[in-house]
Amino acid sequence: MAVVRLRARLRVRDLFAEALAGLFTRPGRSLLTALGAVLGIASLVATLGIAETAGAQIVTAFDELAATSVVVTNDRGFFGTSQTQAALPWDSEERISRLNGVVAAGTMADVQLGGRLTSAVPVNDPLGLTEFQMPMIAASPGLYAAARGELSTGRWFDRGHSERADRVVVLGTGAAQRLNVTRVDQQPVVFVGDASFAVLGILEDTQRQPELLNALIIPEGTAREMYDLESPTTVQIDVEVGAASLISEQAPIAVSPDDPGAVQVQAPLEPDEVRAGVEEDVNALFLILGGVSLLVGAIGIANVTLVSVLERIGEIGLRRALGAGRRHIAYQFLLESTGVGLFGGVIGASTGVLVVVTVSALRTWTPVMDPRIALAAPVLGALVGLLAGLYPALRASRMAPVDSLRAGAAG
Amino acid sequence: MTDELIRLLGVGRTFRSGDIEVRALRDADLEVRRGEYLSIVGPSGSGKSTLLNIIALLDRHTSGTYRFEGTDVTELSEGARTGLRAHRIGFVFQSFHLLAHRTVTENVIMSMLYNSVPPRERRARARAALDRVGLDHRAGFRPGRLSGGERQRVAIARAIATRPAILICDEPTGNLDSASTESVLELFDDLRSDGLTLLVVTHDDAVSARAERIVRMHDGRLSEPVAV
Repeated sequence: MAVVRLRARLRVRDLFAEALAGLFTRPGRSLLTALGAVLGIASLVATLGIAETAGAQIVTAFDELAATSVVVTNDRGFFGTSQTQAALPWDSEERISRLNGVVAAGTMADVQLGGRLTSAVPVNDPLGLTEFQMPMIAASPGLYAAARGELSTGRWFDRGHSERADRVVVLGTGAAQRLNVTRVDQQPVVFVGDASFAVLGILEDTQRQPELLNALIIPEGTAREMYDLESPTTVQIDVEVGAASLISEQAPIAVSPDDPGAVQVQAPLEPDEVRAGVEEDVNALFLILGGVSLLVGAIGIANVTLVSVLERIGEIGLRRALGAGRRHIAYQFLLESTGVGLFGGVIGASTGVLVVVTVSALRTWTPVMDPRIALAAPVLGALVGLLAGLYPALRASRMAPVDSLRAGAAG
Repeated sequence: MTDELIRLLGVGRTFRSGDIEVRALRDADLEVRRGEYLSIVGPSGSGKSTLLNIIALLDRHTSGTYRFEGTDVTELSEGARTGLRAHRIGFVFQSFHLLAHRTVTENVIMSMLYNSVPPRERRARARAALDRVGLDHRAGFRPGRLSGGERQRVAIARAIATRPAILICDEPTGNLDSASTESVLELFDDLRSDGLTLLVVTHDDAVSARAERIVRMHDGRLSEPVAV
């Protein structure tokens, strides 16, 4: 049975040559067919690239203020009130300031005034409202720098004031307005209950801890002596750029070595996290768009391949008669549609990269892109072409040679 | 083994379309010997094409036995039949079936894609085949620039390039004028004298008359005149 061993065969090289010839038979049509894949791949690549570029851009233009602020509190939160609060030590400022990467640190705590009212004059004026309920905050000398405060007049208290428990106060700008204090050169005094405090300065603005602006700010030592303040509740730390994550790890240990977990740390998000967040936001929407255009492209390829199969019925019949097996026919059309997809992927990836570069140039950004995206895009295109060609190739391979020859006899 | 190439024993082909059965071929007995020049002639609708498709392994018969080079191909798998087509059978069609976008040489080479001809031999064999049909000067042309007779000779070159056991021609002159027909028939005579087995299906008595043996078909039945 020697003849049975005469199997039809098709060398891989010949298969590629035939598929390529099939594509170049109608170059215009092949180009138009590939356009769908080009658009889909280009939008995917551009989306990913722009997201990455924008993410990188955000990292370079990130919020310097937020990124250099670390706050440690002993606040256990709403549900933690029944538990023992870890007391922050009075020398938290010094302990934190010793850490490498800290620019400034300061502690603060709310002072319970027990209903004492504040006024600027010791007179009871029945006509005017001169007494107010005002928040009082006990602060350490370093808080001014750590919160990046700005005095409109006067000065901030120093360690001496605190150690001597001097009755001095810095008025937040809101508090100063209500108390009608505008200048300190005449050494104004404010009264809290019966106690008088000399006004040292007026805090015009602060970049952190904005509640200071409406408060009476007194030295911690004074608050301890007069109001039995137990401990600071908050440590505001100003860190160097890039040191935030390190300090947020070290600060709890510095202030609460026996139980670092007892204090809360508010640290800025890491740049990487910010970038990931941005990329996620951008990607979700546009990836869907890109996916949809790719799907449309795939349908286009499938359509044209199917049309081309029907047009080339005669050729299919001839090839079958010449000894092409069903699979050879299927491979050929699959390879053609894959080729279209691959071509679309290459052009699409290039277009996408160009878009990213152009957008970056227009906005003076630095284009950032994972090279794997540019490499994976043609593969994705080929895959799309392959999938799109499955049905047409199956149709082509299932045609009976006799019918194909008869149907294609027009030539 | 005798010089029998093809043997049909009671071969029939029935087409079914719903409830309707059409017996296009009934009890066909036919022997084709190696080197023979056989013509099957009959009016259209007589079942010539059905018989040819079965002989050419493009279609399966529904009854009887068909031996090709001693092998019963009745139960052969589709893949094995395809392999036989690729290696042992050459086709010439009425409508040429040349690919318009390929050159003459590329069209001839196409028949060698699916069998065991090594790639480096193909061009030489294509050139030899074109030389054989007298078209070596047209090797680089596209089929659109050739006359009908030339196109059919390219198709013949394509068929003989694989060195098949038999050349099966379906109305080879159906689309040709008389001068071209004559050139093709002369080529058949030459190929016949080279020892190639020829099976020509036609409705034209003038064409079939060139064969050394004529089989007539009528209503799906074969009848062989005792002598020509």
